[in-house]
Amino acid sequence: MIDTIFDSITYLSIQRAVLASILCGIGCSILSVFVVLMKMPLIGVSMSHAAFAGAVLGMMLGVNPFLSGLIMCMAAAALLGPVSDRTDLVPENILGIMFSFLMGIAFLGMGIITRTKADALNLMWGNMLTLTETDMWILLSATSSTILFILLFFKEIRLILFNRRLALLSGIPEKPIYYALLFLTGIVVSSNLTTVGGLLIFALLVQPGATALQLTYNLKLFFIIAIASGVSASISGLVLSYVFDVPAGASIVIMATVIFTLSYIFSPKRKG
Amino acid sequence: MNRFVIEMEGITLHKAKNILLDHINLCFSEGEFAGIIGPNGAGKTTLLNVIAGFERFTGRLSLFGQDQTWHRDRNITIRIGYVPQVLEIDRSFPILAYEVVLTGCLGRTGLFRLPEKKEKERSEEVMEMLRIKDMAKKPFGRLSGGEQQKVILARAIIQEPHILLLDEPASNLDMAVQKEFMDLISDIHKKKGMTILLVTHDFNLLPASLRRGILINKGKIVFDGDIRTATSGEVLSALFKYNLETFERNGKRFVSYD
Repeated sequence: MIDTIFDSITYLSIQRAVLASILCGIGCSILSVFVVLMKMPLIGVSMSHAAFAGAVLGMMLGVNPFLSGLIMCMAAAALLGPVSDRTDLVPENILGIMFSFLMGIAFLGMGIITRTKADALNLMWGNMLTLTETDMWILLSATSSTILFILLFFKEIRLILFNRRLALLSGIPEKPIYYALLFLTGIVVSSNLTTVGGLLIFALLVQPGATALQLTYNLKLFFIIAIASGVSASISGLVLSYVFDVPAGASIVIMATVIFTLSYIFSPKRKG
Repeated sequence: MNRFVIEMEGITLHKAKNILLDHINLCFSEGEFAGIIGPNGAGKTTLLNVIAGFERFTGRLSLFGQDQTWHRDRNITIRIGYVPQVLEIDRSFPILAYEVVLTGCLGRTGLFRLPEKKEKERSEEVMEMLRIKDMAKKPFGRLSGGEQQKVILARAIIQEPHILLLDEPASNLDMAVQKEFMDLISDIHKKKGMTILLVTHDFNLLPASLRRGILINKGKIVFDGDIRTATSGEVLSALFKYNLETFERNGKRFVSYD
């Protein structure tokens, strides 16, 4: 009796873990296309640290960590937008300062939290096997809104990624779409604190896009390759974590790096 | 009835403590082709940026008879074409040449709509005119500097602007390509009749159809009038504080750097 209950719980959590890694792979891969093509890899770092710091603060104050992480991400996005618009600041420097500051806040928070340190550590590398139904719904809505956004604004997004100045000259709503991209990054990152965690998600926000960059000149294909490599990294990482009993976040990131390295070695763009 | 497409009155722009533009008064009528000439840092690009809506300024700017702030409505934006001096792009960016050209239509097409057949045909026409049709399906990053610049010009033209702003469009190109590029711009002016402002510091490349020369230095206009007077040895030597001589051959005026 107890065994069957235990089995069904494991079954459910494995089901969730598989679904979550697919959703995480899709959402992060789409965003990695922006991160890579805008050549601002630190956006991913800053966002993930903002989410992480926000979540730790939330734990301290007894607020839902997803919510506080999301709020922190939104604040980071609201700051990043104007910073990247200014020509007298080097965005990389500001982003670097911001993410180290946020990391400081996060560790400060972890130092203060005494009772639930394990929970806080989970936010760092996530735990695919302890996902709740709410976690799943949050993840599903974050990923599907990202997909919807890309489908609706594909041609505008392409021009903004290509050159923001030309986008402005074309008379398209460049700023609203650009800011929406930043906010979406925040939403996806904070919804994935529970899956791969705030520390390692950065890898998934760069590697799928970087992999696609090695392989194609077609932006539609670019998204597809990124998603395929992101999802295969997260699924194979999940399997590895199950087999070797290691944190899923860690094995997913390692798989993503392996996939990127392969794409770099076999890149037709680099040879031609 | 107001025939000026651009009117500027006392346009002034400061950055930190530097004056970039100092009480600029200029008017351009419909279909005019003018050259804006001056040394580096004179404020030529800033002037174009004010018209395009990239800079905040004080003074009065009117476009198509409507007063403007730095913020532009879409219906004004799409009537201004701009070819920047250098375009910061990633050579491996996934976009093909004709896709770059078609982005010129986005403002007119509007959100949630794809470019129609009519727009695709128009882009092919423009690419044919600029002799870049063969490379339509090539990745933009794989084109040479001259080809890329022509693609960006095609993009601006397909936007069907009433004003075309060119910021040293040929400065990164080799001499033969520079000449070809300028001839194309002359052609466009003849065929499309748009108002063209061409920023340059190279007088030997001024197209023959360009009649008006505006010399600008330290944010001030120092000469505005006939291009032949503007490019006379004395006027240019004073502007660049360097002894420049001009001579004519085959009816064209050349500037020599002494």
